Amino acid sequence: MLGALLGYIVEVSRGLGVTLSVFFMTLAISLPLGIIVAVCRLSKNKIICNAAKFYIWVLRGTPLMLQIALVFFGLPSIGITFDRLPAAYMACGLNYAAYFGEIFRSGIQSIERGQREAANILGFQTIQFYRFILLPQAIKRTLPAIGNEVITLVKDTSLVYVVAVNDILRVAKGAGGRDANTLLAYVAAGILYLAMTYIITKLFEVIEKKVQYEE
Amino acid sequence: MKKRILGLCMAAIMTVAMSACSSNTQTTQQPVENTEETTQTEQGDTALSYDKIVVGLDDTFAPLGFRDEEGNLQGVDVELMEAASEIIGIPFELQPIDWSMKETELANKNIDLIWNGYTITEERKEKVAFSQPYLNNRQVVVTMADSDINTLADLAGKTVAAQAESSAVDAINSKPEIAETFADLGEFETNDQCLIDLEAGRTDAVVADEVIIRYYVSKKGAENYKILEEDFGTEQYAVGVRQEDTALLEAVNAALDTLKENGTTKTISEKWFGSDIIME
Repeated sequence: MLGALLGYIVEVSRGLGVTLSVFFMTLAISLPLGIIVAVCRLSKNKIICNAAKFYIWVLRGTPLMLQIALVFFGLPSIGITFDRLPAAYMACGLNYAAYFGEIFRSGIQSIERGQREAANILGFQTIQFYRFILLPQAIKRTLPAIGNEVITLVKDTSLVYVVAVNDILRVAKGAGGRDANTLLAYVAAGILYLAMTYIITKLFEVIEKKVQYEE
Repeated sequence: MKKRILGLCMAAIMTVAMSACSSNTQTTQQPVENTEETTQTEQGDTALSYDKIVVGLDDTFAPLGFRDEEGNLQGVDVELMEAASEIIGIPFELQPIDWSMKETELANKNIDLIWNGYTITEERKEKVAFSQPYLNNRQVVVTMADSDINTLADLAGKTVAAQAESSAVDAINSKPEIAETFADLGEFETNDQCLIDLEAGRTDAVVADEVIIRYYVSKKGAENYKILEEDFGTEQYAVGVRQEDTALLEAVNAALDTLKENGTTKTISEKWFGSDIIME
């Protein structure tokens, strides 16, 4: 039993490459894009602000699986063709940008207007105000929410099954199907997901300690 | 200090992401090796404009197409494809797909053939062209060996399970006079889960494709189960081709003819099923 489980863990690890690449590429796309979304959402320009609201509404308001399928199967009909993995990166990145955008917005808005006025009086330029006053506080306050989202992302990577790339869960499904032992293969996949989320949890603990300061 | 840690994290992230990308291109595409046989190349000279033929299959569908412990594709259909590729004289590239998306993948030209226990149905005929059938399948009823169910009539008042969206569910629904006597029809994601439920006693009988359920039953210990003689009807597996792709359809049909004549299908069938259920 334990030997079989270990065997499955080794076999299911073959899906680790796809899972990790979707995970990191999604972060690489969605974190910068999320900042843009947050800034647009806070823009005083009505059109830009509403465009950002619309983006967040659509991307948060439809299932991620549907979005992946739409990017891969739907876009070719208007002449945009992605390969399987890039389609998954793109859809997950756009989706998570909406969530990160809202988290960043909450961070930016949590800084009282008075601080900006005080910085102005002290002679800070806008860029200096963002770099030395707003960002350190906003990052500290939003880190737990970001950590939440990142851990959700680990598990959401399994939705790429719809474009049939072999991530951890799909390899587990195949192995379990072959040996008529679905349960044990899924347990092996669960252990791998737990290992990944453990590392991320620890990483966020370290980062949170680094940005800790007395308010 | 903070910056350096952030930089280190980024570097680590990029390295992992890069290595992940490179390693997965190797596993997703496994072109079948094409050793052209001189005796059969004349059939490969048809007007096919393919450098390679992309075959869509569900690589989690034992015993027709699945991966072994090392991740290599194998199974009944995989062996048939390899043999057909040699006859047609064009290399096949095996592309895993999600089964629920198979017709979309074909229409979008991500794949050129659907070849993985693909049952001929009237509904599908409207969307794809089918090759000649190559395998006879039955929709059979499986129970535990000590069950008192022996005929379809015995299923009255019992709980029956089948794989969701499978042709087993269609077969059950095509016999409403029997289906209506069930206490309940449970639909599970996989046949394995149906059998787990059967073993747990929540389900009294499982309806499934014979070729697939025999594989599972043999994996779990054939002596624990029984397969009823009465069935929910027969059906045929064939290869799906885009309707406008007539040249490819002809090539596949010719290849299947050759495979049946030269005994390849018989060998493959006996290896996997213990008997020749691939059509003469």
